[in-house]
Amino acid sequence: MTRPLAYLSPRTGVAAPFSDLAPEGLRLETVPEQTLTDHRPDRFGALLVPMHIDQRRFANATRWISRFFQAGGTLVFNGLLGYPFHRKLKRFEPLVSPRLRQFRVRVDANHPVWRGVDPDDLTFRRGVAGFYGRGCNPPPPSAQIIGTIDQGNCAVDWQWHPREGGRLLMHAGNDLWMYARDKTSAAALTPQLLHWCMAEELAV
Amino acid sequence: MSAPVVVLDGGTSYHNFSLSDPLLGTWFDERIYVEDVSADNLGRAGTIVIPCRLNPDRLKECSGLLTECLNQGKTLIAMGETEPQTWLRGIDFTPVPTNFWWWLEPDGDLGLKIAAPDHGLFDFLTMAEATWHYHGTFRVPSNALSLIDAPDGGSILVDDDATWQGRLLLTSLDPFYHHGSFFMPAATRFLVGFTQWIEAGMPAHQEGRYGQR
Repeated sequence: MTRPLAYLSPRTGVAAPFSDLAPEGLRLETVPEQTLTDHRPDRFGALLVPMHIDQRRFANATRWISRFFQAGGTLVFNGLLGYPFHRKLKRFEPLVSPRLRQFRVRVDANHPVWRGVDPDDLTFRRGVAGFYGRGCNPPPPSAQIIGTIDQGNCAVDWQWHPREGGRLLMHAGNDLWMYARDKTSAAALTPQLLHWCMAEELAV
Repeated sequence: MSAPVVVLDGGTSYHNFSLSDPLLGTWFDERIYVEDVSADNLGRAGTIVIPCRLNPDRLKECSGLLTECLNQGKTLIAMGETEPQTWLRGIDFTPVPTNFWWWLEPDGDLGLKIAAPDHGLFDFLTMAEATWHYHGTFRVPSNALSLIDAPDGGSILVDDDATWQGRLLLTSLDPFYHHGSFFMPAATRFLVGFTQWIEAGMPAHQEGRYGQR
């Protein structure tokens, strides 16, 4: 039996905003952020972390996170990294005085989460650019870069395999599931993200 | 020497980036992580600033202490999305769907209006610097003052020195979130003016120090 995916909720009683998009067979649990370390680190196959969490508290759970990776867990982290939770991570670095052209998004269309997503649907919402990313959570040297802004110079999305195991998918911006209700190709991100998390779990 | 101004820190990325920004962080005498709030550290404060989007669940746990601060005559400033109606008595708040896109319309106007042009805050702020979007409106208590009115009634910025022994400022604006997320320049200008006003002692009346803006 596959392990459940956990959504780390900053608000008591508030479930994952994408729970209706979970594919059949996926068990999705909402975990209030203050209870994370009450769970065994190997209990969840994936942990999806939204941008509004108390990152200071999360970063204090370093040992739990390390054991989660050791157990093969997938961590999906959204937001600007203010409190690094792994020794290989660094704080968010914003673009300095960015111009419009620097907000244009490029993505690796071969990545299963971004497959079929038109980068312009990430760059623009109602014709306005700058929502997707405005800087980077600096990737470790061995990270696979997936999405960039600033003509490819700034990694907004990347995937990394920590030495201890597991996977980290980093998005330095608003929650990826913010696009789930868009009437564009960007809506595919959320179900593909959930499939991607689950596929790895099935492969374990 | 004036009583210290303390700011609560919810541990989010945007609180961290805002409060560690030399542009803003130095205006506050003490930064208190919300997990560390106590009668002792709030007792030292004269003014307590609760930045926008500080988790209301945490503030509910501090409800008694924050109420006591107002009863003791301290000043409390609570910003947008902190849901003060859930942790302070007598707050009447109506959430509104946020209009992020008003400025894309021809002649777009969010409809906010300065309601108390002689208030001291407007020595430091213009209406343009308080205009990006808002998340709801407050009913203005008797003898309290709306500083900025919303188009459909209610206020998005209330100065209330009548209800409590102390003074309560409420706003549904969320400037710390935007400044600490590196977008929305108006929010940054708002915070600069707002913190300068705090530094000046939060005058309720204009002193002409900076001239009419």
